[in-house]
Amino acid sequence: MILLRLISWPYVRKHLLRSALTIAGIALGVTVFLGMHTANQSALYAFRQTVDRIAGATQLQVWAGEAGFPEEVLEKVQSVPDVRVAAPVIEAIVSTRLAGQGSLLVLGVDMTGDQSLRDYQVQGEQEDVIEDPLLFLAQPDSLIVTREFAARNGLAINSRVPLSTMEGEKQFTVRGLMRSGGLSSAFGGNLAVMDIYAAQQVFGRGRHFDRIDVAVREGVPVQQVQKAIEAAVGEGFQVEPPEGRVQQFDSVLRVYSLTLNICSLLALFIGMFIIYNSFSIAVAQRRSEIGILRALGASQGQIRALFLGESAVAGLLGSTIGVFSGLLLARAAVAQVSGMLEGIYGITQRAEAVALDPRLLAGSIAIGVVTSMLAAWIPARNAARVDPVQALQKGKYQVLSAGENRVRRTTAAVFLALAALALVFGRASWLLYAGYLLTIFSALLLAPTLALWLARLLRPALKWLRPVEGALAADSLIQSPRRTSATVAALMLSLAMVVGLGGLARASYQPIADWVNTALNPDLFVTSSETLADRTYRFPATMGPELEKIDGIAQVQAVRSGRIVFRGSPVMIVAIEAARVAQTVRPRVIAGDRERMYALTAAGQGVILSENMAELHRLSLGETIEIATPGGPLRLPVVGITRDFSDQQGSLLMDRSVFQRYWNDDSVNVFRVYLQPGVSSEVVKQRILERFSGERRLFVLLNQEVKSYILRLTDQWFGITYVQIAIAVLVAILGIVNTLTVSITDRRRELGVLRAVGAMRNQIRHTIWMEALSIGLIGVTLGLLLGAANLYYMLEMTRRDVSGMRFGYEFPGIVAALMLPAILGAAMISALWPAESAVRGSLVEALEYE
Amino acid sequence: MIRLRQVSKQFDGKRKVTALDGVELHVARGEMVSIVGPSGSGKSTLLNLIGGLDRPSTGNVFIDEEDLSGLPDDALTRVRRDKIGFIFQFFNLLPTLSCLENVSLPLHLRGWSRKKIDERARELLNLVGLGQRLDHLPEELSGGERQRVAIARALSIYPPILLADEPTGNLDTHTGAEILRLLHDLHDRLGATILIVTHDLSVAESCERKLSLCDGRIVGDERR
Amino acid sequence: MNKIAWLLQVVALLGAGLAAAQDPRQIMEEVQERAQAKSQRYEGTLQVIDRNGRTTEKRWEYDRLGSAGRSKAVLRFTAPAEVKGVALLVVNHPDRSSDQWMWTPALARDRRIALQDRSTRFFGTDFSFEDLEERDVDQFEFKLLGEEAIDGAACWRIESRPKQSKTSQYTRSVVWVRQDHYVFARLESYIADQVVRRLNYSQIENAQGIWSARRLEMTDLRRQSRTILRLEKLTYNLPLDEEAFTLQALRRLS
Repeated sequence: MILLRLISWPYVRKHLLRSALTIAGIALGVTVFLGMHTANQSALYAFRQTVDRIAGATQLQVWAGEAGFPEEVLEKVQSVPDVRVAAPVIEAIVSTRLAGQGSLLVLGVDMTGDQSLRDYQVQGEQEDVIEDPLLFLAQPDSLIVTREFAARNGLAINSRVPLSTMEGEKQFTVRGLMRSGGLSSAFGGNLAVMDIYAAQQVFGRGRHFDRIDVAVREGVPVQQVQKAIEAAVGEGFQVEPPEGRVQQFDSVLRVYSLTLNICSLLALFIGMFIIYNSFSIAVAQRRSEIGILRALGASQGQIRALFLGESAVAGLLGSTIGVFSGLLLARAAVAQVSGMLEGIYGITQRAEAVALDPRLLAGSIAIGVVTSMLAAWIPARNAARVDPVQALQKGKYQVLSAGENRVRRTTAAVFLALAALALVFGRASWLLYAGYLLTIFSALLLAPTLALWLARLLRPALKWLRPVEGALAADSLIQSPRRTSATVAALMLSLAMVVGLGGLARASYQPIADWVNTALNPDLFVTSSETLADRTYRFPATMGPELEKIDGIAQVQAVRSGRIVFRGSPVMIVAIEAARVAQTVRPRVIAGDRERMYALTAAGQGVILSENMAELHRLSLGETIEIATPGGPLRLPVVGITRDFSDQQGSLLMDRSVFQRYWNDDSVNVFRVYLQPGVSSEVVKQRILERFSGERRLFVLLNQEVKSYILRLTDQWFGITYVQIAIAVLVAILGIVNTLTVSITDRRRELGVLRAVGAMRNQIRHTIWMEALSIGLIGVTLGLLLGAANLYYMLEMTRRDVSGMRFGYEFPGIVAALMLPAILGAAMISALWPAESAVRGSLVEALEYE
Repeated sequence: MIRLRQVSKQFDGKRKVTALDGVELHVARGEMVSIVGPSGSGKSTLLNLIGGLDRPSTGNVFIDEEDLSGLPDDALTRVRRDKIGFIFQFFNLLPTLSCLENVSLPLHLRGWSRKKIDERARELLNLVGLGQRLDHLPEELSGGERQRVAIARALSIYPPILLADEPTGNLDTHTGAEILRLLHDLHDRLGATILIVTHDLSVAESCERKLSLCDGRIVGDERR
Repeated sequence: MNKIAWLLQVVALLGAGLAAAQDPRQIMEEVQERAQAKSQRYEGTLQVIDRNGRTTEKRWEYDRLGSAGRSKAVLRFTAPAEVKGVALLVVNHPDRSSDQWMWTPALARDRRIALQDRSTRFFGTDFSFEDLEERDVDQFEFKLLGEEAIDGAACWRIESRPKQSKTSQYTRSVVWVRQDHYVFARLESYIADQVVRRLNYSQIENAQGIWSARRLEMTDLRRQSRTILRLEKLTYNLPLDEEAFTLQALRRLS
């Protein structure tokens, strides 16, 4: 502690800017880590909390994916001996027609049996009364809302609330108010309770429930009842504690979380480099000081502790700043994340507020400190090893010894060889990841050497450009790899990630656009929700023929989709009218014969898999798969595999007739509408809207709207690339400023000599600028190289493990081309201040230096 | 050639230190002057002011009747570049540049053509007797050789004024004498005005004029 | 719904009992015996009065076929207007809990009512579903606590405890049985040592030979609210069509 105050503090004060940069490095890492996780968690947390609060005393939930199941299942569950309560639930998120209220989570429950599961808190306190339970059941327009919601909208008992329903907009009546807390805080208080049978009608569910919530008899082990229920309802059902649903949600979001984790880990990693850089420089500069300390009797341990202590303090400061800026970032990002989750996964949550997770906050600070100390570990060790005698001799800097370099190069070569082996022989995914890591590590190990080579290559060019300034700039890089290599490495990593993500975006864009063009080719889509992903409302099957009668419509194809669980992970079932779809859609076939696969599917003799489903579940043509359904196990062969990007977890096409038989459900999510030739889609859209106005809630989307919607989602998804680019630019600035400040300190005398022998201030500036630009250029070069490898690995990971989608390798030339000016610009900006400080200051002092 | 009028220099620190105190000096073109005095007497400060590396607190420094004290930074640099060559005790060669490049440095800074620079640099290195070591890096040379390179660099544009701060201070006696001979030789051949700050009495005695400084004042001005 | 049926049964008394009977179980059996009837019909008025004195009222028509454990009953709401037409069909079984269906005309569908948690309140009244169930004498142990007059009528005070504690929300109950007609005059239900519900029977009159309380008042002592049930046009043993007590009939009713 004393050492910290006596030795470190003066140094920090003297190198205020550099200390600030070190702290900024940590702050950057923590900001990105915390910000992205918090934004993400806020969305997840909102969902989780809603699940939790709605679950109440529920111990088990019975459900069959999103498809729901017939009412009769309830009696089967209720008849299981140790079930105390089994209450059916329909959950729907609807848009209210109240201004500024957004969506409302409607819980359809059977109030006669449900109150022992959920505490609606509608009784007890004076004014909190559900007016009359009988009335609530007798009138299908009954709604119980939370007090908060009522207060926000000036509602009281008997107030009317407009909601969108399958039959168009309808007025509901508030028949009860829930007190605050518990259940009523689910979904941000925008919660309403409705009679489940009324909900069936309102949301077009037919005689289906979404799930059954179960409480078991006291003293009976939950697992035992779980088994008993599983046996009673059969295989098509999931019987799980409420957390199970959260886990499903998590697994649906797997791709997203993975990307996010890679990004934030990388930010931390890069922060680590900046810290490492700062500390190794500090150790080099303070060699004589360390020598004196050692001569005065400080032990190696004390020296190490001194530097680790400094890094801990820097880490603490940096993470504290990072926590604040991270929360700001989260605030800015949470709405975007929410919107994206809703758009892509059809999962709506209300995450208006940033969910402050104290564990995450503490974790971020801890990570900041630990990262900082880890990064300072090697410099601290080097400091401890400083030989006091050598250190006290003037003007000797510790340079990377040739031996160390050789060890690095050898290790890197071994890593690369292993990575190549993993690539050649590895089918297992751990080999892929191992190869990925090895490649990254070898790149990091090679970075100093490569940077050196590149600097040597650059020297003639720079010298030719500006004989003195250029040569000096290049020499500065060549002479002090220690100064530059960490910055170059950080830049390289961060650019590699930009290239990887950008490349993924580019690689996926064209196939997705192709798919959109071939598969989503109807002229109009009649949907029950504004977005295609939302499956809250459903149409009755009878609407199809009604649509077909409308003038100008040639064909209508009904589609029913829903997420179910297949071999433990969620997949999307898409029930189509295969015979009709075969006439209009020509998907890219991966395996099988197009005509035959549709014929077999239409005959109910097979299913068609999306390429990614086949890839993720390692399924091939001809294989027979078994799908657990509410109507018992469904066994069908895979008759075709096509390219289809409907779902990140994979989709499974079957004929509607099969779905109807096994799920006992003929409702429809979307009608694909083809028009007669020469008919304007706008006109028909109007006709459809007029035909069903007031009768049904529906949206008619033009083909173009759907296409641009999907492509926009794709863009949104890769919005994360932009975050990464921002990080890269920040890293460039932080790293380069850091390197340059050190460089000009180290070269003070040299610059002094230059000025003494007649260099103008601009000439000095040019040297510094060129040095900065060179670092940028080297970083970009290495970054693009590593990026090319990174992209390969990311594509492979996507294909093998993440979403199973196969995209062709295409180097993102545009992104790369954009990065060069961006990074060079950042480098130039970073150089401005150091260059100014280099031309200021006393010449005499500079020359007397040492 | 060089004229100082009532030049004083104070350094602001926690304690104010007066390095020069009302110095009056005139050095004529072609003179070779040694400056001696104990440590802290202000020798180096005097040289720095004449060389335009530093500015006086009060008083004026004239080079060729041009008052340096009022000049902006870049104009000062221009004076330095066109009229003054520096030789330092620690040579101050750029370690990453070869002999040839080190000598070329001031010429490049002036924007000479590559060809002309190359010719001049070779010529100068030949002049100081290092014609065979053009491509060597400073660290590959002995102390005396390094100082020769430094001298060659200082001479690159044949400046009218050559300022040397302890040019032999970091060399053994034998090499020091060699360098001194070189300086005299250059003085004779080029007719430059040379100022040498030195501790070394033999160096001081070898010059035609010797200035003695003590506590920031000129206490002796002997000519031979 | 069978609770109401049962309440009515227990309040119905035939003739004067033997004041000398001292075995509590025999007394309870006699109570059950005297309430027997082939069928029953009445028009009920239900008033719920909450702690602030706010009152809500409902009316229904009630038909029951059979009695004790094998009865079927249909209850049709007639007021207020919002619930008019809502009907309940109750099919009692001697060996298990009853099946119940509810018909809601506004949704045009029937639904099964799952009576899983018997401590739940019955449609916002102060009765719980359990309070309305028929209980078999065999499931309880009785103890005569003494004698006490209620509204000037001499009663036995009998404690009943469920033989299996898990089958009831209550720890025990104390019932006052009129010595003259073998009909309940009061029932207090305990959770631990606290009375949580008190049911008072009054206007006990002879209807076609069955002594029945025409006014029942249930007080929920925790919620401080009470529910009053009045029975009008009470008739026993009238001819009722078995066909009327089916789901189909329920659907037709609207």
